[in-house]
Amino acid sequence: MNNFSLNKGWLVLCYSLILGLCLCHSPLFAQNVPLSTTSKQQVTGTITDGGAPLTGVSISVKGEQKTVISNFDGKFTIAVSSNDILIFTYMGFKTVTMPVDGRSVINIRMQEDATTLQEVKINAGYYSVKESERTGSISKITSKDIEKQPVTNVLATMQGRMAGVDIVQDSGSPGGAFTIKIRGQNSLRADGNQPLYIIDGVPYSSETIGAIATSGTAPTLTSPLSSINPSDIESIEVLKDADATAIYGSRGANGVVLITTKKGKAGETSYTVNASTSFGSVTRTPKLMNTQQYLAMRQQAFANDGVTVFPSYAYDVNGTWNQNRYTDWQKELIGGTPEVNNLQASVSGGSQRTQYLLSGNYRTETTVFPGDFKYTKGATHFNMNHTSDDDRFKITFSANYIAQKNNQPSIDLTRVSRTLAPNAPALYDANGNLNWENSTWDNPLAGLLSQFDSRIKDLTANTVLLYAIRPNLQFKTSLGYSDLNSNESRTQPSTMYNPAYGVGSEISSLSTNQTTRTSWIVEPQLNWNKVIGKGKIDVLLGGTFQKQRTERLFLNGFGFASNSLIHDLASASIKTIDLSDETIYKYQAFFARMNYTWDERYILNVTARRDGSSRFGPGKQFATFGAIGAAWLFSNEALLKDNSVLSFGKLRTSYGTAGNDQIGDYQFLDTYTSSGNTYQGTIGLQPVRLFNPEFGWETNRKFEVAIETGFLKDRLFLTTAYYFNRSSNQLVGIPLPGTTGFSSLNANLDATVQNSGLEFTLRTVNFQHKHFEWTTNFNISINRNKLISYPGLESSTYVNTYVVGQPINSIKLYHYTGMNPTTGVYEFEDVNGDGTITSMGDRKTIADLSPRFFGGLQNQFKYKGFQLDFLFQFVKQQAFGSMPGVPGTAINQLASVSDAAAQQPYTAGANGAVTTVYYRYGLSDGNLQDASYVRLKNISLTYDLPLKFTHGVRCQLYMQGQNVLTFTHYSNGDPESKFSGYLPPLKVFTGGVKLTF
Amino acid sequence: MKNFIIPLIVFLALYCFTGCDDFVDVEVPASQLTGSIVFEDHATANAAMADIYSKLRDSGLLSGNSIGSATCLGLYADELVYYGTNDENVFFLFNNSLLSNTSIVSQQWNESYHQIYCANAVIEGCQNSTALSTADKNQFIGEATFVRALVHFYLMNLHGDVPYITTTNYELNRVVTRMPTAEVYNHIITDLDQAIALLSENYISADRVRPNRSTASALLARVYLYKGDWAAASNAASAVLNNPAYVWENDIDKIFLKECTATIWQFSPKLDGNNADEGATFIFQSGSPPYVGLSSELVNSFTNNDLRKTHWIATVTDGTNTWYHANKYKQNTNTGTSVEYSIIFRLAEQYLIRAEARARQGELSNAKDDLNIVRHLAGLPDTAAVTADEVITAVMQERRFEFFTEYGHRFFDLKRNGFLNTILPTVKPGWNTTDQLWPIPETELLMNPNLTQNPGY
Repeated sequence: MNNFSLNKGWLVLCYSLILGLCLCHSPLFAQNVPLSTTSKQQVTGTITDGGAPLTGVSISVKGEQKTVISNFDGKFTIAVSSNDILIFTYMGFKTVTMPVDGRSVINIRMQEDATTLQEVKINAGYYSVKESERTGSISKITSKDIEKQPVTNVLATMQGRMAGVDIVQDSGSPGGAFTIKIRGQNSLRADGNQPLYIIDGVPYSSETIGAIATSGTAPTLTSPLSSINPSDIESIEVLKDADATAIYGSRGANGVVLITTKKGKAGETSYTVNASTSFGSVTRTPKLMNTQQYLAMRQQAFANDGVTVFPSYAYDVNGTWNQNRYTDWQKELIGGTPEVNNLQASVSGGSQRTQYLLSGNYRTETTVFPGDFKYTKGATHFNMNHTSDDDRFKITFSANYIAQKNNQPSIDLTRVSRTLAPNAPALYDANGNLNWENSTWDNPLAGLLSQFDSRIKDLTANTVLLYAIRPNLQFKTSLGYSDLNSNESRTQPSTMYNPAYGVGSEISSLSTNQTTRTSWIVEPQLNWNKVIGKGKIDVLLGGTFQKQRTERLFLNGFGFASNSLIHDLASASIKTIDLSDETIYKYQAFFARMNYTWDERYILNVTARRDGSSRFGPGKQFATFGAIGAAWLFSNEALLKDNSVLSFGKLRTSYGTAGNDQIGDYQFLDTYTSSGNTYQGTIGLQPVRLFNPEFGWETNRKFEVAIETGFLKDRLFLTTAYYFNRSSNQLVGIPLPGTTGFSSLNANLDATVQNSGLEFTLRTVNFQHKHFEWTTNFNISINRNKLISYPGLESSTYVNTYVVGQPINSIKLYHYTGMNPTTGVYEFEDVNGDGTITSMGDRKTIADLSPRFFGGLQNQFKYKGFQLDFLFQFVKQQAFGSMPGVPGTAINQLASVSDAAAQQPYTAGANGAVTTVYYRYGLSDGNLQDASYVRLKNISLTYDLPLKFTHGVRCQLYMQGQNVLTFTHYSNGDPESKFSGYLPPLKVFTGGVKLTF
Repeated sequence: MKNFIIPLIVFLALYCFTGCDDFVDVEVPASQLTGSIVFEDHATANAAMADIYSKLRDSGLLSGNSIGSATCLGLYADELVYYGTNDENVFFLFNNSLLSNTSIVSQQWNESYHQIYCANAVIEGCQNSTALSTADKNQFIGEATFVRALVHFYLMNLHGDVPYITTTNYELNRVVTRMPTAEVYNHIITDLDQAIALLSENYISADRVRPNRSTASALLARVYLYKGDWAAASNAASAVLNNPAYVWENDIDKIFLKECTATIWQFSPKLDGNNADEGATFIFQSGSPPYVGLSSELVNSFTNNDLRKTHWIATVTDGTNTWYHANKYKQNTNTGTSVEYSIIFRLAEQYLIRAEARARQGELSNAKDDLNIVRHLAGLPDTAAVTADEVITAVMQERRFEFFTEYGHRFFDLKRNGFLNTILPTVKPGWNTTDQLWPIPETELLMNPNLTQNPGY
C-alpha cells in the first residue's frame, strides 16, 4: 500500500476545493436573480444579530405562503407590495414583524430570545421533542461549542459541558482514548461502561479494534471514536434517564450518545474555509531530583545498606557515568512541541425542496516525542435532503468517510522520563547514533525504533425515508451501513535491542492486525399523532434489525534479510497467523412509544422495547425493557401563566429499565480456539474461557425527578435533577483466583448496586445589550455509588473487595499511622491486632477514588465583532501519589523525596523491610492526596472582521486554547490522567481563520 | 408512489411484528470449536495437547525466556547478577525482596495454574470422548497427567504447601486450601505412576519433543530425590538409565544440540530455525551485560581443568572489566534450521540423582561410578570422595557445575539440603530466612480466604 497517496490525495482534494470555491465566487453567483413580478416591488436588506449576519432567517409575507431565506451574509431579497407586512423568524431569536411601508431596503437586527430556547427540538433518537415538552433527561451541546475547541475526539468536546457526564482523557498521544461514564459506573466490567453511540441513527460500535501485539502508545487499544470528525457534528445529545434510554432497551443502561451531523441548508450556495494551526505541550510535569540530589540519595542508600564498595552494576553512582551530568529527561523525552494543522472546507446550499452539504477536512498532528511521528486524518461528509412537491415524501442521506493514518512510537516515554537517573548518558553518540554507553543502560530512544502504524478507513452512511400516508400518519425507515477497515502494524527491528546481544535483522519482526467491521441496520417505524380536544397523542411503533460482522486477521513476520524490508510481510523468512476469526453480532428489537400531552400542561410518555441479542445463550436472548415518564408544566397553569418572574416551570419524573449487552460475542459457548502458537508444526488449540451458559441480561432500574425553572423571561434558567439508579443481576466478569486457571468468569452478580446523584445546570443571560452580551452556563454533578446488598458476599471472591453500604469502586487500604521515630520506617494500624500487618487482616480503610463532584463554568461574551468564550472545568477527587520505586534504588524521584528526614531510610534494595513497607505505604491512606483541580479547559476568542467593503465575504479570526491553566495541589503531574505512565493531556494553543462567502 | 409504498409498509410491518426470534441465533464461529468436539478427533485433541507444550515453552516457570525459572531462580539464588536497572520484577528477585503483590509472583502462579487447567481439560475431554481410540486416550491422558505433576512440583518447591488441582470445576477450584507438602508429593507420585502406566516407551514424535514413559520416570526420580525417598529415586533413575534409547554423549559440545542422544525431553521451538530461548536470554557479545551475567563467584568455583568452565561459560571483556554468560546454548537467534532445543530432562541428571540416592543408602562405589560418568564428560578425573558425606558433597558440587542456569536446580538443591540460610546470606545482602518460600500472591489470598500466606510476607 502506498503511504503517501492518501495524504497527498486529501491535500489535493482540499486545495482544489478551496481554489474551486474561490474561482466560482463571482458577484453573479452571489446575488439572487431578481424576481419578475408585475405589481410588486423588490425589497432587499441585511439581517444581523447586532454583530454577525444571520444566515437562514425565514422571511415571509403575512397572509401569504411565500418564504425566502437569508443568505450567508444575512442578505435577502423578496418581492412584496408596498403595504405588506414582513415576518422574520429564526430559531432562538425573537420574531420580528415589520411593515414594508414602501421601503426598498429593510435592515433588521434580531434579538436572541432566551425563551424560545424552549422551542428548540431535541433529538431523542427515534423521535424528537420540543425542549419544553421533554419528559426525559437529555444534555446537549451544539456545533457552536464544538467548533471553539481545538480537539479531535468527539468525547473531548463534551468534557466539562454536560452535567452527569464524566469524561477523562487517558492519554495525550494523538488518537488516544477517553473514558466516559454517564452517571457513575454502572457495570463492574471495566469495559462494560460504554454508552451506546449513534451517529445519524446508525449505532456506532465503540469496541476497540486494536490488538495488543500491534497496539501503540495509548493505554487502551485503538478506539474507533476518533473516526468521528468533530467539525462535522451539528449537535451531540446525551440521553441519561430511563425515559430517554429505555427505548434503546438493552443498550441504554450506560446512557446513549446521539451524534447528529451537519445538514445542508436552503439558500444560496455558501462556501466555508477554515484553517488553523495549533501548538501543544504537556500540561503538567512534576519537579524531579537533579543530579546532585539524586546521587546524594543513592550514596546514602548504599551507606544505609552497609555497602561500602558500590556494585559493578550501579553505574550511576560508581563512577561509570559522569557524576556531573544532568539531563531533564521530561523535557528531553516528552517535552516536544506537537504541531496540529487543520483545514476544513465546505459547500452547502439548495432550494426549499432539496439541500446539500459537502465538506472536507484534513488534519495533521505531530507528537511531543522526539522523532518524526504524525497523525493524519482526512474526512468528508456529505448530506442531502429532499422533500417531494406534495410534501409527503422526504429522503435524507448522510455519509461520512474518514481515513486516518497514525504513525506513533509503540512505546510511551512518559514513564521512563520520570524514572531515568538524571545523570544517565547522552541519547546519541558523537556520530549521531544511539548511544548505548557500553550497555550500561537501555537507551530510551531505542524503543522509538519500534513503530506503530495504524490506518483506519471508516464509512458510515445513513438514509432515512419518510412517507406521510396521511397528514398524521408517517412511515419512516432508517437504513444504516457502516464499514470500518483498520490496518495496524508494529515493527520490532533488531536495532531496538542492545547491540551487546549481537543480533541482526534475522530476529526483526513485524506484527500486523487487519480488522474489518461492517454492520447494517434497518429500522422501520410508524408514527401517528392526533389532537383530541385539548389532548395531543403521539404514537411510535418500530423495529430494529442489526447485524455486525467483525473479521480479524493477525499476522506476524519474523526474520528479514534487512531491516529496511521490515514493513514488507512477504520479506519475512517466517510468517505466522496468530488469529483469523470472524465474529457475528445480531440484534433485533421492537419498540414503541406513546406520548400524551394535555393542554400543554400534563405530559405522559411511555416507552417499551423488546430486545434480542446474539450475545446470550439459547433461552436467554430476549428481554423486555420499558419506562414511564411524566411532566407537569406548572408555569402553564392559570395561576402562573402570566407571572412576571417565573417564565417557565416544569416538574418531570421518570422510572424504567434499561439493559447492557456489552459482554463480547460468543461468551456463552464452551469453546477451544486456535492459540496461534505452534508446537511440532501443529497450531495449538486452547480453551477460551471458563464457560457459563447461564448468564443473562442485566437490568438497570432508573428513577429521576427533576425541576426546570426559568425566571425573568428565561434569562435565568435552572435545572435540578435527582436520579437514583439501581442495577441488579449485573453481568460481570467475576474475578476468580488463579487456581481456577482463569482470571474471571462471566456471570450475573447477585448484588444490587446503586448510583444516585444530583445534577444542577444553570444558564443565565447576564447582559443583553445592543453591542454587548454576556451569558453564563454552569453545571455541577454529584454521584454516589453504593453496594446495597450482596447475599453470599462472604463466600464470594469479592469478600475482600466489597463492603455492603460502600461504593463498588472503592478500594481497601492500610491505615498509615506515621513514621517510627527510631527506625524511620512507616507504620500502619494493626486492625486485627495479630501483631503483623497483612493485606487480609489490616487493609480495612475504605477510600473512594471516584470524583466527589465535577462540573464546568462557561462564560460567553460578545462585543460587536468580538466573541470570547471560556470554560473552567473542575473536579473534586483524591488520588494516589507518586510511587516510582523504593527511594535509593536507581530510580529518579520527586524533588521532595530528597528531604531524607521525611522519608524512610533510603535503600538500594537490600533492606527488605523498608521495601515491603514502601509498597504497603503505596496502598495506604498515607499515600492518598487531594487530586482536585480547576482547569481552564477552553478559551476561545473570535473576531469578525468588519469587511463592509468586500461585499459578501465574512472573515473570522480566532484564537483558542485547550487545557490552558490547571490549578491543583496534586504532586504527581497532571491531575486528570493522574500518573498512569502515559502521556498526560496536552495544553494546546490554536490560531485560525474562517472564511465564509 | 403511494401504490408501492403501502404494500411495502405492510410487508415490513408484518415482518417486524411477527416473531422472527431465530434472527439472533448465531453459529459457532469458524475459528472456534466447542469443547466436546475437540476431543472427538485425534488431530484436534493432539492440537490441544500441543498447545500445552507451547505454553510451557513460552511462558511460566518451564520456559527458557527472561522470566523462566532458569533466570528467576538463578537471580534469586547465587548464579546470576542483574545488570539492568529498570525491571522491577527482576530487581526484586535479585535482591530477594519479593512481595506478595510483586507481579512476577502472581504471573508465575496464574500461568502455572492455567497450564494445569489446560492439562485437566485434556484429561476430562479424553475421558468423556466417545470417538478417540483407547491408545490415543492413554497417550493424551498420560501426557496431561505428567504435565500436571510437573507444574505442581515446581509450584510446591517455590511456595511450599499448594493446592493440587485435578478438575476444571471452578466452583471447587476457587475455594481450595493449601495442601501439606507431603500430600502434594503423594498426588505428584500418583499422577506420575499413572503417566508411566499410560505412556508408551517410544516417543510419539521425532526429536523427543513429547514426553514418553521414561520422561515421567525421570521426573519421578527427581521427585523421590527431593522427597528423600532414596531407594525409589534410585529405582526410577535406573528405569531411565536402563532404557537403551538413551546413549551417553561423550562430547561436551554436543550435549545441548537437538540431536543429543542423552536428551530425555526437550521443547520443539515455536518457529522453524528458532533455538532454545535460553540462548537469547543469556548470551551477550559485549559488556556490560545488558540483562544478566553469571556471578563471578560461580565462575571462580569451577576448577580450571573443568571443560564446562571453558565450553559452557563464555567470557566477555572490554579490556578492563570481565563478564561471563552461560554458554550451554550457543545460538541466540534464528538460524534458519534449528540447532538447539530447550532441554528439560537430560541423562546427566539421572546419573547424579542415582549417585546421590545410592550414596545416601551407603552404596558408595555405585554412587561414585554414576558421579564419575558425569565428571569424565567434563574432563575431570574420578572423584576423590571417600566417605558417604564426602560423596554426597561431591554430588552436590557436581550438580552445581552441571546444572547451572537450568530450571532452578541450584536453588532447589540448596533448599532441600537446608543450605539456603548458610550459603546465600554471604553473597546476597537482602536474604532473609523466610525467603526460602515465595509468597502466595496477594490477589489470590484476597479472592480465596481459604488460602494462607507464607511466613515473612
